[in-house]
Amino acid sequence: MSAVIDQHGHHGDHAHDHDHDHHAPHGWRRWLFATNHKDIGTMYLLFSFAMLMVGGVLALLIRAELFQPGLQIVNPQLFNQLTTMHGLIMVFGAIMPAFVGFANWMIPLQIGAADMAFARMNNLSFWLLIPAGLMLVGSFFMPGGAPAAGWTLYAPLTLQMGPSMDAGIFAMHIMGASSIMGSINIIVTILNMRAPRMTLMKMPLFCWTWLITAYLLIAVMPVLAGAITMTLTDRHFGTHFFNPAGGGDPVMYQHIFWFFGHPEVYIMILPAFGIVSAIIPAFARKKLFGYTSMVYATSSIAILSFIVWAHHMFTTGMPVTGQLFFMYATMLIAVPTGVKVFNWIATMWRGSMTFETPMLFAVGFLFVFTMGGFTGLICAMAPVDIQIQDTYYVVAHFHYVLVAGSLYALFAGYYYWSPKWTGVMYNETRGKIHFWGSLIFFNVTFFPMHFLGLAGMPRRYADYPMQFADFNMLASVGAFGFGLMQVYFFFFVVLPTMRGQGAKAPQQPWDGAEGLEWEVPSPAPFHTFETPPLLNPSATKVLG
Amino acid sequence: MALTPEQKKSNLRLGLILASVAVALFVGFMVKSAFIGV
Repeated sequence: MSAVIDQHGHHGDHAHDHDHDHHAPHGWRRWLFATNHKDIGTMYLLFSFAMLMVGGVLALLIRAELFQPGLQIVNPQLFNQLTTMHGLIMVFGAIMPAFVGFANWMIPLQIGAADMAFARMNNLSFWLLIPAGLMLVGSFFMPGGAPAAGWTLYAPLTLQMGPSMDAGIFAMHIMGASSIMGSINIIVTILNMRAPRMTLMKMPLFCWTWLITAYLLIAVMPVLAGAITMTLTDRHFGTHFFNPAGGGDPVMYQHIFWFFGHPEVYIMILPAFGIVSAIIPAFARKKLFGYTSMVYATSSIAILSFIVWAHHMFTTGMPVTGQLFFMYATMLIAVPTGVKVFNWIATMWRGSMTFETPMLFAVGFLFVFTMGGFTGLICAMAPVDIQIQDTYYVVAHFHYVLVAGSLYALFAGYYYWSPKWTGVMYNETRGKIHFWGSLIFFNVTFFPMHFLGLAGMPRRYADYPMQFADFNMLASVGAFGFGLMQVYFFFFVVLPTMRGQGAKAPQQPWDGAEGLEWEVPSPAPFHTFETPPLLNPSATKVLG
Repeated sequence: MALTPEQKKSNLRLGLILASVAVALFVGFMVKSAFIGV
């Protein structure tokens, strides 16, 4: 492992002085009453991985059904439940909590804070997720089965669903409240609790991207909550916000939902940008190119995300001027995104690069996410979108963004920071097997979907004509391979490190990495930076 | 080290401001939809 250097004891004294491991609570109380940001971060990560597995099983049921034409395994109603719950669980149960887990672990360490600003609220934010997750999954066993209106919960379908829709709405409310509390915690921690000398423009980009993401969450989660509350009142309290039978407007639901939904896409990708921005400089052994422009590009993407929502609705009918506005505004997002991709490549340019697993996932992210970005531009063009709306082209597009984007960045971040979390190095060979297996199977799964979509195969259908059989079979084989790689990741990479099996991780395992998280020993002590650290002028090292 | 009373107060103030923004957006969107529509 060429990037591993041993710096035992180097700068570790500061944190070690305040290592009060012997004061750490033990047993179940440690986790139930957890207020320590590291413990809560760990719980978030484990919860999100569990939900990833549940959502993954649903995805595999979908792919098993679509392996060949005709109905073999599930009926169309159950198929609709599977697609709906797969989307909801992956978005709200897996990806979002995983990034909050990273935020909990890394933000206090990166800004030199002792913990999150509201430690007890942090505990509540996490534990709210458990009943919400159970309610979502448990809705499969309610009369009529799980919600089956798509993850977008479009009216008037939601008004016609059985009681599980109420459970789904309640679960979304709880998860939304958890997200808002988490966001408040992150913003207050970053703005009020940075160590002296850690100015905003010296913060690691992961903190910047999370700061902006947290603002996005506070702005749009209440909008989703409002939309589903109105759905609830339509269902039970005689209102007609979205019910056309009573004079309501289902398209209004779509406007409100996508006002939340598009920023939500960036909520799931901006922290990924932050992780990649930490990893690429470390393994290129260069400073991040264009730090300031990265901050402005992230902010620009966040602001633009509020004015593009109706590109999800070109086929609902809107004036041509409306189509033009949303089309050009969407294309405008390619500019700050291009700035970011340019900066990552410029960081690697003439760098002394090595390709350990975190860097492999980061570079893989760069290639495959950029492909998803390009297909996004194609979808942004109103005349094209009207043709490919609700086809597998769109399914391919958003999986390139959310799997190859968000999930790959999460894996990259895991491999990069797990030595700090667990105190042991993961097995590099196994990490590389996980990367190459995931990359190949991901593309086998989702690349053919572009062709299926262009040929006109609609999404959310349990059956299809014979002409789509070959590509569907290929996609299903890829999906099972991809799922298998994640099981391999858990049992052969994550579990051994959690059990402390592996080479002992030095304080600074990556010789090109910079930041305060590498100034504390590995594993990070239960308490860190209990007194504000004295930082060097660039706020990357602890002086005392 | 525990937060100083000033830090706690400052954190609480900012937290409440952010929470009030969330509540305003939640209620605001429903009120707008009820009385004005899209």
